[in-house]
Amino acid sequence: MSDRAARNVAVGLGWGTFLAGFVPGLLQYQLGQKQRAVLAFGGCFLLFFVGWLVVRERLFYWALLTPDSPPPGSSPGLIPWQGMARAGVVFTLPELLNFPANALGAILAWDASPEGERLWRMPRDLEHLFGWLTAASGMLAAFWSAAGHWELRRRRDGGATPPVPVADPALCAALSWLVPGLGHCRAGQKDKGALLGFAVVVVFAAGLLFAHGHAVDRANASVWWIGQNLFGGGSLFAALVTAPLRMEGAPPNLDLGVVLCTVAGLMNLVVMVDAFTVAERTAFPLGKPAEVAP
Amino acid sequence: MSLWFRLAVYVPVLFLVAIVVVGQHHDNARDTLRWTVRRTGRWLVWTAALLACMWGLEILFIGW
Repeated sequence: MSDRAARNVAVGLGWGTFLAGFVPGLLQYQLGQKQRAVLAFGGCFLLFFVGWLVVRERLFYWALLTPDSPPPGSSPGLIPWQGMARAGVVFTLPELLNFPANALGAILAWDASPEGERLWRMPRDLEHLFGWLTAASGMLAAFWSAAGHWELRRRRDGGATPPVPVADPALCAALSWLVPGLGHCRAGQKDKGALLGFAVVVVFAAGLLFAHGHAVDRANASVWWIGQNLFGGGSLFAALVTAPLRMEGAPPNLDLGVVLCTVAGLMNLVVMVDAFTVAERTAFPLGKPAEVAP
Repeated sequence: MSLWFRLAVYVPVLFLVAIVVVGQHHDNARDTLRWTVRRTGRWLVWTAALLACMWGLEILFIGW
């Protein structure tokens, strides 16, 4: 790695680039990749609104801060939560990462009346699957953002002929989101990928077993679900198979199951970041410590 | 929940978490597994120390 590249690693790309990543395709547009920009924006938008057709007002109920009440400890009326919701600023994760679609969906679904609040709380058919789709749009937006950041970094630090990695780092991270370890396999570390995938899947499966399948349920444990959804393949399996099951009384180890599935999701976050890094280092290998020093 | 049940869940999960943490520093599964065993052992020592501290605080403030 050149001295300039080594110095730039620690600098980052700045707040403007970071914030631009919340609009799918904007970084690709700035990079002159018009087709990829359209694909990113259209794909994220479409995925969100396919899910939104079913979940609609439920996005308010699943938000970190629901618009009907201020967060614990804050003064009522200090922050205009309802006004923010009306303007489309709703802290539903990971949908928030696909900011334009999440904002438009919130504006279209917002109803401040008691009837509107009743609709937030009303479960609806197939909401597990369609809620997963809106969440997947947020994750997809994050991976497009990562792809844009990677391309910016490659052009900045790669000199006249930017190096080409064995696999796109953002694609490796996205593959690991669906199947833990698959990103490592794509980047050339097959045995390590299989081992990491095994670790994540076993912890997630143990959580589901301990909770009799009810550990991953966005309607009942929406905040925990944010962490669990970091293992996208697992949360999709739960949305299709276990979450729709009727719960006849709380299983004795429900809490343990919820925590284990969340731990598995957080483990997969580490796996995703590592898959990105493994692919990245095939283009920009780590220098010796003396080279990295400013 | 019995102590044995808790241990039967905690130790394997600790090992699996350690695989993911240690895996970031190695390129292949063999090295990852070898160092994971050592890391898990070290974490178990820290776990025992933490439990001892909490037990001591319990005795100090709540009593035997």
